[in-house]
Amino acid sequence: MNIFSLDWYLIAIIMFVGFYCMLASRSIVRQLIGLEIISKAAMLTVISAGALSNNLIYAQALLITMIVIEVVVVATGLALLVKNFRLHGSADIWTLSSLKG
Amino acid sequence: MIYHTLLFALAAVFALWAVMARKLLVSAIMLALVSVCVSLIFFDFGAPWAGVFELSVCAGLITVLFVGAVSLIRAEDEKRPENRARFYALPFAAAIFAIAAWFYLPAFVEELAAGAKIGSGGGSIGRALWGMRRPDLLGQVLMLAAGVFVIKSVFPRRTQSK
Amino acid sequence: MDKGLLAYLLIPLLSAVIIPFAARTRPKMADILANVTLLAGLANLLWLALRPSMIAGGFADIPGDGLSLLLVAAVYLVGLCVTFFSAYFIEEGLPNRPAYYSLLLVSVAAMTGVVTTTDFFTLYVFIEVLAVTSFALITTDDSSAGIEGALKYFFLTFPASVLIIVGIAILMMTLGSLSYENLRLFMASDAPAGPVTFASALIMLGFIVKSGVVPFHTWTPDAYQGAYAPVSAHLAGIVTKISGVYAIIKLATLLRFFDGRAQALSEMLMFLGMLSIAVGALAALKQTNFKRMLAFSSISQIGYIVLAAGLGTPLAIMGAVFHLINHATFKTVLFLNSASLEKSTGTTDMDKLGGMEHSMPWTSWTSIVALLSTAGVPPLSGFWSKLLIILALWESGLRVYAVLALLFSIVTLAYFMMMQKKVFFGKKTPASERVQEVSAPLLAPVVLMSAIIVALGLLFPYFYAYVKVVAERIIL
Repeated sequence: MNIFSLDWYLIAIIMFVGFYCMLASRSIVRQLIGLEIISKAAMLTVISAGALSNNLIYAQALLITMIVIEVVVVATGLALLVKNFRLHGSADIWTLSSLKG
Repeated sequence: MIYHTLLFALAAVFALWAVMARKLLVSAIMLALVSVCVSLIFFDFGAPWAGVFELSVCAGLITVLFVGAVSLIRAEDEKRPENRARFYALPFAAAIFAIAAWFYLPAFVEELAAGAKIGSGGGSIGRALWGMRRPDLLGQVLMLAAGVFVIKSVFPRRTQSK
Repeated sequence: MDKGLLAYLLIPLLSAVIIPFAARTRPKMADILANVTLLAGLANLLWLALRPSMIAGGFADIPGDGLSLLLVAAVYLVGLCVTFFSAYFIEEGLPNRPAYYSLLLVSVAAMTGVVTTTDFFTLYVFIEVLAVTSFALITTDDSSAGIEGALKYFFLTFPASVLIIVGIAILMMTLGSLSYENLRLFMASDAPAGPVTFASALIMLGFIVKSGVVPFHTWTPDAYQGAYAPVSAHLAGIVTKISGVYAIIKLATLLRFFDGRAQALSEMLMFLGMLSIAVGALAALKQTNFKRMLAFSSISQIGYIVLAAGLGTPLAIMGAVFHLINHATFKTVLFLNSASLEKSTGTTDMDKLGGMEHSMPWTSWTSIVALLSTAGVPPLSGFWSKLLIILALWESGLRVYAVLALLFSIVTLAYFMMMQKKVFFGKKTPASERVQEVSAPLLAPVVLMSAIIVALGLLFPYFYAYVKVVAERIIL
């Protein structure tokens, strides 16, 4: 097993942990944490693929953009969380069930 | 080689810890440590720019945002704790996944890697961003504008009526 | 990036930045600026595409690949209808009026970016911008349904971005570049396609989740139903189509589904499309809320587009593009009508409504035009696009899919007729007593869109010539 496949093996485990968190948790904050973990793993795939194919500069250019996107996405998620908290007084995703059908 | 793999393993451990932690504050801090590991991995790969961004923005700014939000909702969250059983099952699930993946994933990834097309790898980061990825910079500007308006729209200035 | 269309991205952005300053003392300035920006853009686009010399030349001089121009026009058209409607719909006291218009304009700019880009990563960036603006737009009116819809949309679509990123990483590794052109050249060559197809499959899976095709459709009804009324027209009419379905059509052409190099992916896509058509139509039959029924109908119509994209022959791609445009027109009409109903009666529950035909004749008649077009009744525009799709399926020997698509078209007619009977015909219910037709400015966008539906249906030969040019350029 070479180092590249070992990296991707570990990345897959990190991604699994993140997805498990998103599936198992009811709390919005934990869901966001799971999302963050998954996107960290996705960033690692980009840099690792860039290093393997000798495209490191290109991969870095992508990563910088991804980091900016991630900040805004997380800020939006937290803003939604705080708004939900103000309206409902809870941060629990499954108490949201006014829409059914 | 050892250092490199150790960083990946550490990131995985911190990720596990962030999910398992009972207190949300600990989760947020563990998430910051995952970010630190990721940024060290970037440095190790020889990608200092991405590493610096990751360290300052993800490990710094995002953690501040998380801690702020957590401290706001902590009282409510502790009143109604979650069912922990599913989280205690995580290490076993992760272990089963790790063992199953051990047999299939590396072979699959090696096959993918065999198809890799080796690039030239020259140039500087500034030139790469400006020369090849200029539309992305426009996208970043748009993203930041969107972020500002989202915050403005979600948290309007308090009006007299409230 | 298509340089010629860059202005259509930059001007709404500029306008979005100016609005908060211009509207500080006079809130009405926000309405005016947003409407003027979009109207000017639309006029400019129409001049580009519909000059007499252009029509006479069979649209041969269209700049770029034609598809971007067409979709930018659709984005501006729906955007204009929504802003114009909002200008008269929003109550006076809404505190974040400038922010609302700024977000609408940023989302128009982001959609323009999505359809004009020529690179997968840039596509991803603009789609994230679009998603972020949509969450805030959904929660505009601070209702609890809105925040619930937004949260579900957030948590069920963002994991899909990760699939897209992993796909992009593998594509970067195995193709050495992320531009559409390189992928097209690669697929046209004889090189073994394994890893590249795998990467494309991951990217496509991400976009399937984002467009709400059936196994991943759970967020769609909640987001559409909970959204602030004009925003749900914006979302259903154009946002989810551009952020998901457009990329699927684009990938289908780039991967050259018609020459069978990605056979498995093509078949999977067609199956999911058919499943969406069936599940969406059957679920729509038993809904009691007008907006929720429209959301399921939207899932079903997306199914047609995905089915056609999965087939990937030039005729099918023409049908898919045409149906995308048609979907934008008729869903905007229906959702804006539901907003009008909500404004005048205060509810969108179909059991509480009835006999609205006499009190709201314009709303009733435009709904009939839109629903007949959705169901594919000639000579309205929806008929032609469905005809193209079904013909393409029949020609490729997929008789079962063709017959099923035709059958579910009849189911579409059935549930819309039930809706029309409940809401507009029949006896008046207590909630519908003393209801007035909404004011003329609120009707103007709906009437305009209905006119476009009829016009596209009657002037089909011209539009066919245009779509043919598009299909030739993006496939060959």
